[in-house]
Parts: sequence; C-alpha cells; structure tokens
Amino acid sequence: MEGFCFRKLDVDGALLEAADRAGAITRGSFLAGALGVSAAAVVGADEAVAQGGKSAKVDQGILNYALTLEYLQAAFYTEAERMKAIKGDVGKAARKLGSVERAHVKAFKDVLGRNAVGRPSFDFQGVTEKPRPFLKTAVAFEDLAVAAYGGQAANLKADSALAAAVSIYSVEARHAAWMRYLFGLNPAAKAFDQPKTAPQITQVVRSTNFIAAPPKTKRKRAPSFTG
Amino acid sequence: MHESTQGMIQRAGFLRRAALVAGSAAGASLLLGERPTEPAEAQGAAEKRALNLALLVEFAEAEFYAEAVRRKKLQGELRSFAEQVSAQEDEHVKFLKGALGEGARSKPTFDFGDATASGDAFADRAADLEDLAVAAYAGQAANLSKKTLQAAATLISVEARHAAWIRSIVGRPPANDPTDAPRSADQVMSDLKRLGLRG
Repeated sequence: MEGFCFRKLDVDGALLEAADRAGAITRGSFLAGALGVSAAAVVGADEAVAQGGKSAKVDQGILNYALTLEYLQAAFYTEAERMKAIKGDVGKAARKLGSVERAHVKAFKDVLGRNAVGRPSFDFQGVTEKPRPFLKTAVAFEDLAVAAYGGQAANLKADSALAAAVSIYSVEARHAAWMRYLFGLNPAAKAFDQPKTAPQITQVVRSTNFIAAPPKTKRKRAPSFTG
Repeated sequence: MHESTQGMIQRAGFLRRAALVAGSAAGASLLLGERPTEPAEAQGAAEKRALNLALLVEFAEAEFYAEAVRRKKLQGELRSFAEQVSAQEDEHVKFLKGALGEGARSKPTFDFGDATASGDAFADRAADLEDLAVAAYAGQAANLSKKTLQAAATLISVEARHAAWIRSIVGRPPANDPTDAPRSADQVMSDLKRLGLRG
C-alpha cells in the first residue's frame, strides 16, 4: 500500500504535472462525483458560470468547490498531526497549516450554512507518516489550491465572496511557498502563477486516489425542539 | 475613495463577521449578494485607479530589490532571493504598465535608507513590502473587471509567495493567520510613505 503510493507519486511527478496533462481533459459527466462532492458543487465552479447562472448559485458552487479542496487539505494535515511521525520544523509547519486549513473549512461551512457540501472520506495512503512524501504532497496540494483559487476569483459575483476568496487565496500561496522552501524547491519559481480550471483540478485530485468515498448523504432531519 | 472600494473595506474582516452571522439569512445575503452594477465608465475609472495603486506598490518593490542587488550587501540566500524577486517585480511592473497603457502613472522617487544595507534590515523591509502588496491587491480586487482580475490574480499569489519566502529565510513564521486582511487605498499610501515612498 505504502510502496504503491510513493511510487505513484514519483512516477506521476506529483500532482502538478498531472494538472498540466489534465489541460486536455474535456468537461464531461465524470465531473459529477469525481471530487466526491455533489454535481452542483463542481458544475457551479465552471459550468454554471459559462451557462450564465444566477449570481448566488454561481458563488455557492464556487465556494463549495473551495470547501472541498479545504476539506482535503485539512484532513491531510490533521492526519499528519495525529500520526505524530513528522518532527521538527516540518512537524511544526504541519500543525500550523492544519489549524489554518481547519479554519478555512469552518469559514466556508459557516457562510454556506445548510448549502455546504459534506466532507468526503480520505485515504492518504501513508504519505502523512514520513517527512519527504508528506512535504511533496503538501507542496502539490498548496500549489493546486493556489491554481484553483486563481482560476475562480474572477468568476465570483458578490464583492464579499470575492474578498473572502482573495484573502484565503494569498494565504494558500504563502503555504505553497513555505512548503516548497522546506522541501528545497524555489518558493516562487515564476513571476505569474498559472491558474487552473475546475475540471483540471478535479482531474488532478481524482488521479491521486486520495478521496476514498464521497460524503454520506445527509438525512433530512426534523427540527429539534427544546422545552 | 471609490464607493465599491469603501464597501469592500467595510466588509474587511469578513470571515469573522460572516462566521458570526452564519446560518442566518443575513449571512447568506452578505456572502451571496449581488455585486452592485455601475455604469461602465465609472468602472473603468475605478479599475484605472486600482491598477495604478498596484503599479505604485510594484514600483516600490522593484526599486527596493534593484537597489539591494546594486549595493551588494546581501549574502547567500538573501542575495539569491533579492536577485530572483527583483526580476519578478520588474515583470509585474511591465505587466501593469501594459494593462494601463497611456494611463499608467510615472515612477515616483523612493528612499529606502539603510534598509538595503544589511541582511536584517533588508529582510524586515522586504517582508513589509510584500505583505503590503498582498493587502493592496486584496483591497482592490473588487474594483477590477472580470478580465483584469483574472490576469491580476496570477500576480497576487506570487506576492504572497515572496512574503512567505523571505520569512522562511530568516526563520519567521511565513503564514500566521487564516486570512490576509485587505487594505484600503489610503492605508496603502500611508504604508508606502513609511516604507520609502518620497514623491
């Protein structure tokens, strides 16, 4: 299991190279559920925009898409923290990033309220247990988040949603630079970051097999009364 | 100040506030409300002001790093950082000048004092300038048209990368908070004066 995962990461040269390849992928039905979230979440991020969807719906789709990427990152750092296998500066960074990504999850869930998508189940296949695979995956996740936010910022309709996304976007970029520095890569290799579309991001995330199961469908519950 | 900039500034710290009103109808309308429509001409003027403010910040960064490289007081990682980031800020200046065309402001004068004369002072000033760039872009995002914002987004993250990079080199936390707070045009101007803008 562990060997498979490392080899996969090495063969693929991390997620970002896959992202470049994914540029050729067309938007198809695979999008629905590929991220392990509802079709509306993914469709909202790109296609509702193209179809000229209603502002609130478009923003909701984009925010749910961002929420799913934040779920992924939060779960990754939280697992690394729980494993206690990563020490020193890298371990400290993992704890910090875990708390920040969890705060991002909470912020998106709070603003989306009952429209928030559920959390998928993840299987990080051992990469949270050793520093190098951990860092390599962290670099890929953070660069991916930067490309995802960069690709959606201009699609957001409401100023407040845009302000929210931009102020998180730059924090993801800080994380990307931080993880790259710790991994020994150039933190800012280019003067401009290349954005990616939702289908590209989805394809990359799916190719990792880190999403083990889609979120459980929420059962409609009768409102609870007290007294 | 432009009205929508003002509106955005008032919504600064949105996450904390958004969290407070979460679940309520007010929360949903705060976040998912329509962007007010404005006359095309007014938007054009707002965008020009926003891009010129960004250009001013990029001028400051480009000048700062160019001076640091010229003075040759930096060693090792700091020197390498200054050289690479200097080239990137030059590209950002070129990009913004291109976007503004004839509407681009001229380059002002700067006085960075001793901030380019030693590693510690350089790192402090670089971190401040990069943080300011991030905050300035965040504060102006709502004033940009969709197309311009799409292009500008590719620089914003690079400024944030620089901010984290310089902190990593000197062993300071590269990212302390869950969000980067935007700063208004007025705040950016007063910060720039403190950081070396002369006129």
